[in-house]
Amino acid sequence: MVYDLIVCRSLTYAQRGVRLLERAGISAYLVRAPRLIARAGCAYCIKVSQRWLERAVELMREAKLVPRGIYQQLEDGSYEEVSV
Amino acid sequence: MIYLDSAATTMEKPASVPSATAWAMTHMASPGRGGHGAGMRAADTLYALRETAAQLFDVPNPEQVVLTYNATHALNLAIHALVRPGHTVLISGYEHNAVTRPLCARGDLTIRVAQAPVFDQAGMLAAFEEELRRGVDVVVCTHVSNVFGFIMPIGELARMCRERGVPLIVDASQSAGCLPVRLSEWGAAYVAMPGHKGLYGPQGTGLLLCGEEQPAPLLYGGTGSESQNQTMPDVLPDRLEAGTQNVSGAAGLLAGLRFVRCKGVDRIGAYEECLSGQLMDGLEQVPGVRVFRGPKGTQTGVCSITVEGMDCEEVGSWLARRGIAVRAGLHCAPLAHKTAGTLDTGTVRLSCSAFNTSQQVRRAAGAIAHLARCQGKGR
Repeated sequence: MVYDLIVCRSLTYAQRGVRLLERAGISAYLVRAPRLIARAGCAYCIKVSQRWLERAVELMREAKLVPRGIYQQLEDGSYEEVSV
Repeated sequence: MIYLDSAATTMEKPASVPSATAWAMTHMASPGRGGHGAGMRAADTLYALRETAAQLFDVPNPEQVVLTYNATHALNLAIHALVRPGHTVLISGYEHNAVTRPLCARGDLTIRVAQAPVFDQAGMLAAFEEELRRGVDVVVCTHVSNVFGFIMPIGELARMCRERGVPLIVDASQSAGCLPVRLSEWGAAYVAMPGHKGLYGPQGTGLLLCGEEQPAPLLYGGTGSESQNQTMPDVLPDRLEAGTQNVSGAAGLLAGLRFVRCKGVDRIGAYEECLSGQLMDGLEQVPGVRVFRGPKGTQTGVCSITVEGMDCEEVGSWLARRGIAVRAGLHCAPLAHKTAGTLDTGTVRLSCSAFNTSQQVRRAAGAIAHLARCQGKGR
């Protein structure tokens, strides 16, 4: 299964995002953002299945949880920014 | 011991508070500083605390709940965030030093005081209205006087501030846990509260509820986020939470909040008021004892007294020797005493919590009556 990573502005935003998505029936996991996508340094992100990404981002934006960035991990271990 | 000093610290806690605090000390690491289990447990606890507080105090989102070391810390943050050089700040005549000292330390402000006799809510509103009409930049007001238990008409005051576009900081030190505290409904800029009083948390904990303002930090340092930037993050709570938080304290405070939520704020408030009423009923019959008692609905479970011919500290010490813990003196609120005319004498304050009983307040009233009678005979 392909997963995407939604980088959040803070740990608390990421926690709120995870709860929001879980309440909507979307499996979401809170993880540390890999260094390559953390942008300004340490960050947390929400890991969701690619099939739920669009809905997840829509729900988060509705709740004013604007992501700092959205990434997909490629087979070679690198990350590609995804636009939703 | 009969403990009647809960306006300072509620000493008897729900059993869940010390056990949560102790467990956190050995099972939780730094929140937001790692992805390991112990760090994430800490992060989950802090989030649960913010979420519970947000529900209890009408805060739109958990990130608007900032963890502090106490209400003084929270008030300093709020004042620092809102008050600018040259501002005119309006306060009530019942403020604690946690409000007046940070304001006086600035030296570049005009501080005006809305004055009214103790328990005169209408008079207090009229005084605020008059001062607001003259023009002020910020209002800071306690919800309840820590000396007299005098409940300020905070809802009405908040409405007056909203109508004039004046930001309001509320000191909820004596109301959180026993009266409804409503950040959004009031439209307050900030509401500050300690964790160790009516929320039954450990000492060294507090909360700052933040409205729409973008606050300026008071402390700068690591937040576990945006580490490459040399400015503080622009999002709450990170912006105001530099350094590792008091995680074990937060775990205890979360247990305290859950206790308050389960018991019900209204029920706790009514119970404490009832106990205080019994205490005052007893003391009002005693010659030589002056009881500061307000009409129904104007006073919480806190009451102040003086005993004729006795220094308040003497009364406090006499009671302490008999196993009754009260607080005597000025209660860090000289302005409140000045307003009520007790600055020279101070008062003896007796304050209840959800863990006191009728029997305890009857025994305390009996002891004070005995003391006052002995004192009367000696004159």
